[in-house]
Amino acid sequence: MHGINFYLYLCNIKLVCINRYLIIKTMKVTVNINLGGYAFNVDEDAYERLRQYMKTLEKEFSSESSAAEIMTDIEGRIAELFKMRLNSYKQVITMKDVEEVMAILGTPEAISGSGTSEERPPRSQRRIYRDPDRRIIGGVCAGLGAYFNWDPIIWRVLFGALVLAGGFGFALYLILWIVLPEAKTTAQKLEMRGDPVTIENIKESVKEEFETVKKKMNL
Amino acid sequence: MNTDNTKAQMRKGILEYCILAVLSRNSCYAVDIINELKKAEVIVVEGTLYPLLTRQKNAGLLSYRWEESPQGPPRKYYELTELGKIYLGELDKSWEQLVDSVNQIRDKK
Repeated sequence: MHGINFYLYLCNIKLVCINRYLIIKTMKVTVNINLGGYAFNVDEDAYERLRQYMKTLEKEFSSESSAAEIMTDIEGRIAELFKMRLNSYKQVITMKDVEEVMAILGTPEAISGSGTSEERPPRSQRRIYRDPDRRIIGGVCAGLGAYFNWDPIIWRVLFGALVLAGGFGFALYLILWIVLPEAKTTAQKLEMRGDPVTIENIKESVKEEFETVKKKMNL
Repeated sequence: MNTDNTKAQMRKGILEYCILAVLSRNSCYAVDIINELKKAEVIVVEGTLYPLLTRQKNAGLLSYRWEESPQGPPRKYYELTELGKIYLGELDKSWEQLVDSVNQIRDKK
């Protein structure tokens, strides 16, 4: 899948937060995707399912020399199957459609025939970043705290002690400041905390950030 | 031993041959190939076909042309190349041999 209209999607969520909170809860948010050159509106849950599916397929074919071509063929076929399921009364791809299409194309296990591969949840690998949201100087201690799941205070006391003990802590802090990347995107912030980078989590995170900004601005 | 697994392995082995045999009659869209294979109960899911077709195309056994479709993106119509025809001829022979051998072993009393 390429060209996901992410900006609009995030805007959607903000809209949800600002003025339609109660109403939108009963409606489903859709995601706009581009499949094989056709635009489709897909229910959020159905999109997540489809994305997972495409990801596992991609992994399945990653050993092939022309994996990209195979994926393009499959994408085209999914677009065709989706188009067959839409008409003037039904404009959005639902979970049911995605599941039907997946049954036609087959699970990755059925495709490979080996039966060894299974659908894995997205990786939840932890990485060390500098945390700009909770920083005092450069966010090094906050980032280390998030990575090790300790209170940043512990790191701050440790570094403070090292600085007092002879300046070594100062150099170490500077090096870490330079070496560690700052967690800028939502995905990086999730990675820093060891949360899987899924659309659900990104949504939650954006919501939280929005709430904090709102509180700070006394809205 | 899992019989389903063995059956799947057997089917997988002849799948390549079956695709070439289907295409030997006329050029086809992937879904046409699927339907024919399904009718003969050779294949269950579509996804299996795409990597195989791409592999055979890369090996020079197949070529394809784009055709407009009323239902969505343009479709790839595959057909056998000269090399593909020779290759199929050889597979035909080896299939007959294989069936002969298996029958000989099975029918021995």
